[in-house]
Amino acid sequence: MNPLVISAHTLTSATGTGRQANADALHKGYSGLRACDLDSVRLDTHIGRVAGVEAIVLTDHLAPFQCRNHQLAELGLRQDGFIEAVEIARERYGAGRIAVLMGTSTSGIAATEQAYHRRDLATGDLPPDYDYQHTQNMFSLADFIGTRLGLRGPAMVVSTACSSSAKVFADAERFIAAGLCDAAVVGGVDSLCGMTLHGFNALQLVAPEPCRPLHAERAGISIGEAAGFFLLERPDNGAAGPRLIGHGESSDAHHMSAPHPEGLGAARAMEQALTRAQRSAGAIDYVLMHATATPANDRSEARALARLFGAKSRATGTKGLTGHTLGAAGAVGVAQALASLERGFVPATAGLDHLDPELELDARGAAEERDIRHVLVNAFGFGGNNCSLLLEAA
Amino acid sequence: MKVGIAAVGLLGPGLSDFASARPVLAGQEPHERAPVTIPPTTLLPANERRRTTDTIRLALKVAEEATADCDRSQLRSVFASSSGDMDIIDRICEALTQAEPMVSPVQFHNSVHNAPAGNWSIATANPAPATAISGFDATLAAGLLEAATLLQAGSGEVLLAAYDVASMATFRRVRPITESFAVGLRLCPAGAGRPTLELALGEGSDPTPCRQDSLEALRGTNPAARSLPLLEVLARGEGGHVTLAAPLGRSLEIRVTP
Repeated sequence: MNPLVISAHTLTSATGTGRQANADALHKGYSGLRACDLDSVRLDTHIGRVAGVEAIVLTDHLAPFQCRNHQLAELGLRQDGFIEAVEIARERYGAGRIAVLMGTSTSGIAATEQAYHRRDLATGDLPPDYDYQHTQNMFSLADFIGTRLGLRGPAMVVSTACSSSAKVFADAERFIAAGLCDAAVVGGVDSLCGMTLHGFNALQLVAPEPCRPLHAERAGISIGEAAGFFLLERPDNGAAGPRLIGHGESSDAHHMSAPHPEGLGAARAMEQALTRAQRSAGAIDYVLMHATATPANDRSEARALARLFGAKSRATGTKGLTGHTLGAAGAVGVAQALASLERGFVPATAGLDHLDPELELDARGAAEERDIRHVLVNAFGFGGNNCSLLLEAA
Repeated sequence: MKVGIAAVGLLGPGLSDFASARPVLAGQEPHERAPVTIPPTTLLPANERRRTTDTIRLALKVAEEATADCDRSQLRSVFASSSGDMDIIDRICEALTQAEPMVSPVQFHNSVHNAPAGNWSIATANPAPATAISGFDATLAAGLLEAATLLQAGSGEVLLAAYDVASMATFRRVRPITESFAVGLRLCPAGAGRPTLELALGEGSDPTPCRQDSLEALRGTNPAARSLPLLEVLARGEGGHVTLAAPLGRSLEIRVTP
C-alpha cells in the first residue's frame, strides 16, 4: 500500500491530557488507574478515568452533543494544536476533501443511562431534553468531530467493539487510495459508562485490582476512557512525520466474546499488515499488544505472536497505565507507539514483576531505551474482530 | 468508483425477498404493506441461533439471501446500521436503574454494534474482515462507500448489509424508526453483464424519491429503506440516476447502468 503520513496527532487518557503527559507516563510506567469512583457505578474495580471531562461544556451549535463521550472528545481535540493543524489542512484541501472516520464502541450511552433514571414514571417516556441523535446514536461521534472541525468529507463511525479505532486507519488508507478524499481525520473516543463496567463485570472479565497484562497472576481488565485523534495525509503532498505503512484486518469466526484459543485471527491480521507494508517479521522492533489482561486474551495473542515472530518476541502491553479504553484502544495504541518511535524506547508493561512463562514473550516491567523504527499495534474486539497496524518512524 | 451488483437481499413491510418483490419494485404489481416477520437464520447451530436477537436475524436474513449462490467463506462484509440493537440498549439501561444492576452477559456481548458481523463470520466460518458502521440516517450511503472502497482495495466480492429494526416503544419518539427494514447488496467488480453502480460524493442535492407512492411512504420509516429508489431502478432493469443522503450534509450520486 501507499504509506500515509501522520502529520498531527493528540491523545488524552487516564495517564494525561495531551501527548507530552501521556508520553511521559508511558516512558516512566506511571499508571493512571484508580479505584472506581464514578457516582453511578459501585463496583470493586479500578478505572482509567480522565480528569476534567465533566468540566467541559459544549455551547452554541455544539450544545446538542453534550454528553460524556463528546465532552471527552472536545477535551482531546483541544490539545497539541490539533484543531489548528486540521484548519491548515482544511485551507489546503478544502472541507469536503477531508474524511472524518471515528471509532467508538458505546458512543454517548451514558446520556441514555442518565435519561433512564429520569424517565416519566407514569408513561415510561424519556425526558424531553434527551437528544438521542447527538448523544446515543453511533454516528454522533463523527457528526460531532465533523461539525466541530468544519469538515464535510466522507464520514462514518466504525463500531467493531475494541478494534473500532484501529480499523479507521485502514479505512482512511482505502478512502484516500480511492480518491474519495485527500486527507482524513481519524480517531477513537470511548468514555466510562455503567453498561460497559457492569457488562464486563457480568462476563467476569473485570479485575478487582489494577489490571496486569501478561502477568502470571493477571485477573482481568480495568476499564478506561480515552480520546485520540490523528491527521493522515499522502506523503506526496509534502507532509512530514511518522507513517502508517501497513494494516491488516480479520475475523476469528470463533466466538462472540472469547478469542480464538490459538490466535489464528490475530496472526492473520498481523501477517496482512506486514505483507501490505512489504516488511518482514524481523523488521518489527516490538509489538504493542492488545493485551487486555484477561487470562484467555493474553494467551491467545501471545500464541499469535509466536506464530509470526517465534518464541520470545519483544512485546509490551500498556493497559496497566490507561486501562482498556475499548473502542478507543486502537487510537491509544497508535499514539503510544508514536511516542516510542519519537523518543526511542520500548514501553514498559506496567506492574510486570512476574511474566507469565506460558506466554513465551520478551516483555519487561521497565522501559528499554533504544532506537525504534517499526511498531506493530494490535487491537482486537468482541465478535472476533481483529486489526493490526504497522507504524514507521519519521 | 464503479461497482457491480451480483445479488440483492431484501426484507421490509410487504417485501419478503428481492425475487418476489421484484415485480412490486418494478411497478408491475401493487405493493401491499404488511408486518415484517424476521425469519430465523439457518446458518447458525441451534445454540448460537437461540442467542440471536431481532437485529442479528434481520441482518443475517438479507446477508444470506444476497450470498445464496456464492462461496461465503472468504467474502468480506460491511454491516451498516444507524442504531444497532436498541432492544438490548433498552434492557441494559433499564437494568442499570436498579439498585443492584444485573446485566445479562449474553445481552452485553450482543450489544456491540458488530454483533451481526460477528455472528455472520461464525455462521459462515469466514476469516475475512467484517466491519460494522453507522451514518445515522445516511447509513446506507456510508455503507456503500465503505463496501465500494473495500472492493476496490482487494480481490473478490464484498457483502453490504444495511438494516435497522423498528425502534422499541421507549425510543420510538426520539428515534422514529417505525418499520424494520434490511437490504443486502453483494458487490462485485464492474462489468460481466451485471448492473453497475457508479458512485460519487455530491454536494448535498435532494435524495431521489421512490416512483411509487406506497414505497415512497416507506422510504422515511427506516435508514435502510432509503435503498428503495435504487432497488426500483435495479428491479426495472433500466439505467438511471439515484441520489442518496450521505453523512455531514453531502449526497451520494449513483449512476446505474443495467
